[in-house]
Amino acid sequence: MNPLRPELLQGTLDLLILKTLATGNLHGWDIAKRIAIVSKDRLTLKQGSLYPALHRLENRGLIDAEWGVSEAGRSAKFYRLTRAGRKELENERESWLSFSAAMTRVLGMEEQP
Amino acid sequence: MNPGRFRALWRAWFRPRTKQHELDREIGFHFEMLVQENLEAGMSPEDARLAAEREFGGRDQYREACRDTWRPPTLDRMVADFRCAVQSLRRSPGFALLAVVTLALGIGANTAMFSLVNSVLFEPPPYPEPDQLDQVYRSTEQAPKGQVSVADYLDLRPQLASYGEMAAYAYHDVSLVDSERSPVLVSGLRVSATFFDVLRVTPQLGRGFSPEEELHGNDQRVILSERCWRDRFGAVEDIVGRIVRINGEPREVVGILPGSFNDWRHLGWVDVLMPLALDAEERTDRANPRLVLLGRHRTDLGHSEASAFLAAFGERMAAEHPEVNEGARWRVMPLRQVLIGESGALVLSMLVGLSAFVLLIACSNLANFLLARTMARAREFAVRAALGASRLQLLRPLAIESLLIALAGGAGAILAAHWFADWLAQRSTGDNGEQVALVLSWPVFTWAFTASVLTAVAFGLAPALFAFRLNLSGTLKSGGRGTVGGRGQQRFRHLLIVGQFAFALILLTGAGLFIRGLADLNNRRTGWSSEGLVTGGVLLPQGDYPDAAAIESFQRLAVERLAALPGAESASLSFHLPFLTWHETRRFVVDGQLLPERGREPAALVNGVSSDYFGTVGTQILAGRGFTDQDTATAPPVAIISASMARALFGSAPPLGRRIAQAGTAEVSWCEIVGVAADVKSIFPDPTPVTHQLYRPIAQEPRPWLEIAVRTEPAAVATIVAGIRQAMADIDPDLPVRKLTSADARIERENYQLAVLREMLTAFAVLGLGLASIGIYGVIARLMAQRTVEFGIRIALGAQIRDIVRLVLGSGIRLALTGAAAGFLGAFGVARLLAAAFPNMHLDPGLTLAAAALLLVAVALIACYLPARRASRISPTAALRAD
Repeated sequence: MNPLRPELLQGTLDLLILKTLATGNLHGWDIAKRIAIVSKDRLTLKQGSLYPALHRLENRGLIDAEWGVSEAGRSAKFYRLTRAGRKELENERESWLSFSAAMTRVLGMEEQP
Repeated sequence: MNPGRFRALWRAWFRPRTKQHELDREIGFHFEMLVQENLEAGMSPEDARLAAEREFGGRDQYREACRDTWRPPTLDRMVADFRCAVQSLRRSPGFALLAVVTLALGIGANTAMFSLVNSVLFEPPPYPEPDQLDQVYRSTEQAPKGQVSVADYLDLRPQLASYGEMAAYAYHDVSLVDSERSPVLVSGLRVSATFFDVLRVTPQLGRGFSPEEELHGNDQRVILSERCWRDRFGAVEDIVGRIVRINGEPREVVGILPGSFNDWRHLGWVDVLMPLALDAEERTDRANPRLVLLGRHRTDLGHSEASAFLAAFGERMAAEHPEVNEGARWRVMPLRQVLIGESGALVLSMLVGLSAFVLLIACSNLANFLLARTMARAREFAVRAALGASRLQLLRPLAIESLLIALAGGAGAILAAHWFADWLAQRSTGDNGEQVALVLSWPVFTWAFTASVLTAVAFGLAPALFAFRLNLSGTLKSGGRGTVGGRGQQRFRHLLIVGQFAFALILLTGAGLFIRGLADLNNRRTGWSSEGLVTGGVLLPQGDYPDAAAIESFQRLAVERLAALPGAESASLSFHLPFLTWHETRRFVVDGQLLPERGREPAALVNGVSSDYFGTVGTQILAGRGFTDQDTATAPPVAIISASMARALFGSAPPLGRRIAQAGTAEVSWCEIVGVAADVKSIFPDPTPVTHQLYRPIAQEPRPWLEIAVRTEPAAVATIVAGIRQAMADIDPDLPVRKLTSADARIERENYQLAVLREMLTAFAVLGLGLASIGIYGVIARLMAQRTVEFGIRIALGAQIRDIVRLVLGSGIRLALTGAAAGFLGAFGVARLLAAAFPNMHLDPGLTLAAAALLLVAVALIACYLPARRASRISPTAALRAD
């Protein structure tokens, strides 16, 4: 299967990042990796869209950043969810799930094998 | 704004470099990880790096993308918005000018009034710790704010320990002569030595008075105001110790008051202070209240304790001396309140309220202008919004535009307040150089700018919000008709016009009432006539006229010379002029009637007059005779009473021949009533509690201060003024004549404060009416423009131009009438307020209201007719083709 491009759907990227950060504090590289792993390489994030998204979220106050040391012993910028981010994730997740359920129902009607 | 967002913004604004650096590091880290991964996959270091570079692509591109997310509205973007706003205003200079002038006028009127309020209510009195200062009144039925007798004051003095300090002063105008210049009559006070301590006024040169100088015979000292020192003595340094002649007697200048003493709110007109040295006769006088008491209560005392102390003292005085003090209560009023005046707060709040109406009218005009302008640009907004501009981006230049208008308007308002202060100072300048000096302090500036910004932003952005409610695609599709605007807006604009006319009616009514009321006061000639009457005041210096005989011979000579002036029909001297309030009230007992309860004897205002007074001022003698030259000091005492007094005392019985005497004096001296004169009314707006009047021959009560009255032909007033001055100088070259002018001019001056009020109210009304007519003109003009096509069709279908004009006029007049109807209630409110503030003014709301409404409709008619006329220029074919 070909990799999907999450940035095609506005808001999806933000939601993915927020969800990934819900598990703990991560730096940009790890975020991309983790999304790739969890999605079984279907969703790959390019740095060209990842970092602007991170900065946008930081700007909106949904995530917070802190310099720390990576596992390899190098200094890296770690992101974590803020309280507002957690709330946003909650809301977005709800609406995404209901949206995708609705989409599935509608699309499923026509392409029933 | 949540804290995370705030932190991010903070960093973006103030630490952009760090942010940049961090971004580079972060991306660098990512790159290194990529290289690392490639290495782990088995590439050579060289290949790993190259592959990473390939995958990474141009860093600058997403660096920029990142930066975009956190770049703050930078200065250059704000400058761009600012320039955009300036350009857009410059593109329509007419609109910009109209908006700025409208705002400046509205806020200017309001700021000017606020500066008045600020100066009167908020600026502290010109003395240190003013809140401790009290004015003391001995309140009787006839004089609620009465003064205190010397004997009562002397009794109070030793008992003040539990209160604080008390100063006493008496008004005492004097003639001042310095070596070179002609004598002048100046306002003066005789003050107790405590005066300076109580007010905490320290002379800028020399010293205050010492207690020894309160002793009679040891009081030949004087303190001058800074103004007097400057104007009459050239501000010479060695003034202290100099001898000046006051009332013909030499006095040594011991001090010069600071400039702050001549504050218009309190004793601003006073130029000389003399010690209150009481002679033996004065010290025992309990019958004539002639001192003003000003106290400074101890810091540990509140107003109620100070009041209680003096009330208790008043009760003691009433118990100990019931013959004069029965029924008199002692009251205390904080000086701050005295300065504001009885109806001051009421009048001031009314002025501010009315100026707020002007502002509201200006604001609704502004809203209308901006709405029209925003609607005209609706297509532009729609296009920009369609291209992806956010609301904020659309609003920002509009907000900056409003802000620019507000700043210009605020500056205009301060200019207006400045002009107002200048005008008021000039308008209020009295004979003595005293004038109202408004303070333009920070609160005034703050007021002007806050009011401008608030109104401009509120009324500037409200129309913009209408623009956002537009259906974008509808606006784009509808072509030129994107500018018509929805029904909601139409209603909003009509509401604004209705509101304007309601406020305009209130303003017009207020001004109209006051113009009529003041004209009534100034033209009130009840009981006398002013035509060709010239008046002026003189004060005989005690040094030159030491006794009754000297005064009497002066009076005789003066009347003789004045009556002989070419052009003079008759001349007289009196204590008071008929049209001013006679300050002297006495109580009387009638021979042969039961003695009334003490303190309840009938009171009358007393005037001493020379024999030709009645003929000169035109007061009719209704019964009996006037005074003659035979009513001298040695002749039997006589009196003339007013008609109302005769009715009150004797009913229908004949008053002539009855005897009357002043109540409460040690020896009763009976006067025979020889005549009844017509009632006379003062031209002041305050009601006098005492309406009865009693006249005595001037020869039987010699007094050093006199009012001259000369009756002449109205055309000869100017020449007779010069003649009077010359005649008086011939009798005594050291005798200044004050306020020598026609009675009409004197009345104008006496009521100048009311005239100032009248002019302010008129200005409000003119402004309000002008702005409202501009408003309705604008709305009707737009209506014409919008409905041109419709009118074209109507004309094409056979409608007459007259019908179109009638249709347009009708919609304008309907708005104006609705507004006027809505304003009726407010107009009645203003009428009630004015009536409460000026009880003695004759205010007739009915007629004024009708006239105001009529004027309003007439103005609206003209304002609507101008655009409606264009109907005749509508060419149906052109109008139809244009669509």
